[in-house]
Amino acid sequence: MAAENELELKNKSSVEKPGENEVMETALLAGHILLENGAEISRVEETFDRICAHYGVRSGNAFVLSNGIFTTVGDDRERYYAKVQHIPVSAARFHRVAAVNQLSREMETGKYTVGELREALERVKTMPGKRNITQIAASGIGSAAFCLLFGGDIHDAAAAFAVGLVLYIYILYVSAPHLTKIVGNIGGGALVTLLCGVFYLNGFGSRMDYMIIGSVMPMIPGVAFTNGIMDIASCDYIAGSVRLLDAMLVFFGIAIGMGMAFTLLNAFGGGALL
Amino acid sequence: MTAVIFEVLYAVVGTVAFSLLFSVPRRYYVSCGLIGGAGWLVYSLLEVKLPPEGAALFATMVVIALSRIAAVKGKCPATIFMIPGIFPLIPGAGVYWTSYYIVTEQLTLALQTGYEAVKTAVAIVLGIFFVFEVPQRVFKLFGKD
Repeated sequence: MAAENELELKNKSSVEKPGENEVMETALLAGHILLENGAEISRVEETFDRICAHYGVRSGNAFVLSNGIFTTVGDDRERYYAKVQHIPVSAARFHRVAAVNQLSREMETGKYTVGELREALERVKTMPGKRNITQIAASGIGSAAFCLLFGGDIHDAAAAFAVGLVLYIYILYVSAPHLTKIVGNIGGGALVTLLCGVFYLNGFGSRMDYMIIGSVMPMIPGVAFTNGIMDIASCDYIAGSVRLLDAMLVFFGIAIGMGMAFTLLNAFGGGALL
Repeated sequence: MTAVIFEVLYAVVGTVAFSLLFSVPRRYYVSCGLIGGAGWLVYSLLEVKLPPEGAALFATMVVIALSRIAAVKGKCPATIFMIPGIFPLIPGAGVYWTSYYIVTEQLTLALQTGYEAVKTAVAIVLGIFFVFEVPQRVFKLFGKD
C-alpha cells in the first residue's frame, strides 16, 4: 500500500511538478512586487516560502533586505539555482500588494499552475495606479483636512489645499524624476513653507503653523516609518533600521527645508514672521 | 463635543485622501477612513486626561487592532489600513515647531518640542509593538460573521 502510494506520488510529481527554476522565478517575482510596493519583509518572505512549498520546492530559501532579495535553491534532489535581485525602493502602491496577497490566497486553493500564477503576477506588476491628477487632488484634500484637524480655520485650510496641490505637482514632476531623495525633500519642505509664508504675509489665513503642518503631511514618510517598525517588531533588524533611517532622513530633509525657507521669509518678508 | 465630531470628520477625510495617495484599492476606502477617525476619536477623548504621548499610545493601539480586524474581514494585508490610519496621530506640529525654534535660535524650546515629538513617536512605536504581539487567531474571532 505504501509502495503504491509512493509510486503514485512519483508519477504525479513527474507529471505535475514544475521545474525548480520556474517556481523560483515566480516566487521571486511575487517577492519583488511586494517589496517594491511597500510590503513588510516578513510578508515578502512568507509569500516566497508559500509559493515554493505549494509547488513542491523544498530547498528554496530567500534572504530579504529592504532593497534586495537573495534566493537560492538546491540540495541532493533539487537542482541548484541562485539569483540576487536589487529592488530600488519606490512609492507605496498598496493595490499591488493587495493583489499579490489575493493571488497567494487563491494559489493555496489550487487555482493556478505555476505558469498561470506567473502570468497573473506579471499583470499585477504593471497594474496602473491612480492617475496623477487624482493623486494631486488627494494631496490637496488631505492637506486641507489635516490643517483643519490640527486647528486651522477655513482660510488656513483653503491655503493648505492650494499648497498641497502644488506640493504634489512638485513631487510628481520635479522631485521624484529629477532629484535625489534628500534634496527633493529639502526642496519640498522649503516650497511648502515659502508658499504658506506668501499666503500668510498677504493676509490670507490666520495661522501659518497650521497651514504648513497640514500641507506638509503628504511628504511625511508614513510608509517607511510604519514598515520599519513592523520589520523591527518581527526581528528583521537590518531592513527595519534602513527603513527607519530613510524615514528620519525625510523628516530631517523637510525640517531643513522649512528652516531655510523661514530664514528667507524673514529676510525678505520684513521680519513679520519670526 | 461638536468640535470633536468635526475633528473626527476631518480625520476621516484626511485618511481617505492619503489612502488614495498610497493606491489603496477602492473597496477599502471606507474602512481606512473609519479607522483613521476612530484613532483620532480615542486620541481626543483621552487627551483631556492623559499627556499627548499617553493618548497617542492608546489611539495607536486602537488603530492597529482595528486594522488587523479589517484585514481579516477584507482578506488583505493589515498595513493597508494601518499606514493611512496612523497619519492623524503623527506629531507633525512637533517637527514644525522644532525646526522653527532652531531657526530662531531658541534652543531650549527647540529641545523641548523636539523631545515631546520624539515621545509621541515612541508611543506610536510601542502601540504598534503591543498590538503586533497579539496572536492572529484573536482577530480571526472578530473577523468571523
